[in-house]
Amino acid sequence: MGTFVQLVVDGLSTGSVYAAIALAIVLVNQATGLINFAQGGMAVLAAYVAWALTNRGVPLVLAILLSIVFSFVLGAVVERYLMRRFERGDPDTAVVVTIGLLTLITGVAGWLWTYNNQSFPSLFPLDTVSFLGVSVSIRSIGTTLVIVVVMALLQALFVGTKLGLALRAVAINPQSASYSGLPVGRLLMVGWGLAAALGAVAGALVAPQLTLTPGMLDNALVYALAAVILGGLTSPVGVVVAAWIIGVLENLAAVYVPFIGYDLKVAVPFILIFVVLIVRPQGLFGRKTVVRV
Amino acid sequence: MNTHLRSRRALGLAVASALALALPACAEGGGGGSRSSGEASPGITDDSVTLGITTPLSGTTAGPGTCTVAGVKAYFGKKNADGGIEFGDGKTRKVEIEALDDTYDPQKAKANYDQLKNDVFAMTAGLGTPTNRAWREAAIADEVPQALIMTGDPLFSDTDESPMQLGFVPIYQNEGEAFGKLLAGSSQDHKVAILSQNDDFGEGYVEGFKSAVEDADNIEIVKELTYEATDTSVDAQITELSSTGADVIFNAMSVTPLTIAALQKAQQLNWKPSWFLPSNTSSPGAILQPGGATAYPGVYSVSFAKAPASPAFAQDEDVVEYLAALKQYGDYPEPPAFPHCQWSWMVGATLEQVFMKMEEPTRASFMEALRSVKDFEAPLMLPDTSVNTTEDGQPAVSTVVVQKYNGKGYDTVESFQ
Repeated sequence: MGTFVQLVVDGLSTGSVYAAIALAIVLVNQATGLINFAQGGMAVLAAYVAWALTNRGVPLVLAILLSIVFSFVLGAVVERYLMRRFERGDPDTAVVVTIGLLTLITGVAGWLWTYNNQSFPSLFPLDTVSFLGVSVSIRSIGTTLVIVVVMALLQALFVGTKLGLALRAVAINPQSASYSGLPVGRLLMVGWGLAAALGAVAGALVAPQLTLTPGMLDNALVYALAAVILGGLTSPVGVVVAAWIIGVLENLAAVYVPFIGYDLKVAVPFILIFVVLIVRPQGLFGRKTVVRV
Repeated sequence: MNTHLRSRRALGLAVASALALALPACAEGGGGGSRSSGEASPGITDDSVTLGITTPLSGTTAGPGTCTVAGVKAYFGKKNADGGIEFGDGKTRKVEIEALDDTYDPQKAKANYDQLKNDVFAMTAGLGTPTNRAWREAAIADEVPQALIMTGDPLFSDTDESPMQLGFVPIYQNEGEAFGKLLAGSSQDHKVAILSQNDDFGEGYVEGFKSAVEDADNIEIVKELTYEATDTSVDAQITELSSTGADVIFNAMSVTPLTIAALQKAQQLNWKPSWFLPSNTSSPGAILQPGGATAYPGVYSVSFAKAPASPAFAQDEDVVEYLAALKQYGDYPEPPAFPHCQWSWMVGATLEQVFMKMEEPTRASFMEALRSVKDFEAPLMLPDTSVNTTEDGQPAVSTVVVQKYNGKGYDTVESFQ
């Protein structure tokens, strides 16, 4: 029993890492209608900025805040001067551009800071608390709590604020949005900026665990995309829940389903995706897209 | 060759020109080895010799990969500055290094080899099992030496299978066996949990370990689990292993962040076994310190190189010379976090021995000399270890000593404490 609960708790903590990236992907998608494959890369860049600052004696919390500001500006600039040129065209082209951007950012980070694993100081101590015979690290609890808060903020932003409404309007129909007087260009920049800032939070949360390297989030990105599809592209709550489900199921399947084991557990989220897409194509929590004829 | 070209013209100019480029290359490559009459092989002149390296310089394995170039570059950079190396044929040559990035991608490694094979005298020092395997057969066909490479795969040390190859570092089995022997010699009973990478690397370590503890009554292997090199977490495995209550964990892992995470996770579960870590994931600065290894009764690894970061070697003559050269000639400003830099420096020293024995400027003569180095104590080597290339089935370095972490660096130990 103890092992079972421990596996669930471990899964939630791994899932939170996937959830952090997944949330940023949802944010960009909600604001611009695109999937940004460079999301992880931009988060890594932010983590490097924070790391470089702490190496120059800046306190960790301040360094992370500065990296968030840096990321917001970077996201906005990337949207304004790079993505803007592709937004009106074929969405496939824009997606390929973001993949190119991922390669570029990874290369630049490697060139500037080498590919060596750098250790990133953790916001939370490594200590553990135990209850019910299970030990949970304070870092896992901290990471999970931050993700939950961010998720709630995002949900509130999209559902409860005018900015959120405007962002969604721009994403769904940029032309009508601009006719009704919304500053489309600026809103797109804000959307990308916010997503990049969120990525910076994610980067700072996971860097202590994965150790900082330019490719740190490449594998996590695959799981994050799985969570996004599973949870539904339109739902911040959905992707976080989906990311947790993936983390927990993976662990349980590896230990309790003999033929899966640790070698096949990577396939678990993807089998889940097949099943969900057949039963609920919009994802577990997503809204159906309805087109008026 | 002209008729050959003409007949292909129908297929289009592109194919023809590609062939025209490829054919002379083939002819040259194929003829390389048959010139045993003293005519120089490619990549060597009366005053210089060029060595090729394909190794990961970007991507996840770039840290160790960069080291494999830096060490050998530093070694020969210093030798060149001192005037060069006197070869067995009496001529003094400078050694040039041409290194290409393969990002640990086997296809790129093969392409790099194809690009280098006609310009370099021999290939050396490159890191990676799948990458080195990708052009092993081509190197045999072209008779290009693939000498002193950084892989623990035993295939490269089998003279019949791999006539143009020789691995430098101990094969995986050597390392696993060394720790197994130490444990079997312990006066107490031990329960061992095994976590290994699901590939040749992990299997090799486990095989070596098991062969050493096979007949030991005091050793019981209680559970064996694996993980994939691409996994982002091994928390579930550590949790499952911790429930066995084993007092020793044999952790055959080659991924830096996962090793740190495994060390942290076990502490969080309040499971405090003794650890065995492979030589490439046991760096005090890069892994043990962030992993909080001092919490465990013992962290063991194997080594054959002096650790430059260890206070015990801070004043060591070899280490001082090595660190200075690494900075000046190896283009590597910081003290290295990976042992591969030290290994690469030793590859340089071993190659120098080979060059001094090489009587003709040919690849054939090089291979002969390569297999004749006996009990050579390369700089930076620990006592009781040496380079020995004369034993079939073994890499250039097959002796390792078991070491225990002391909170800063490693001390050699004779028994399991």
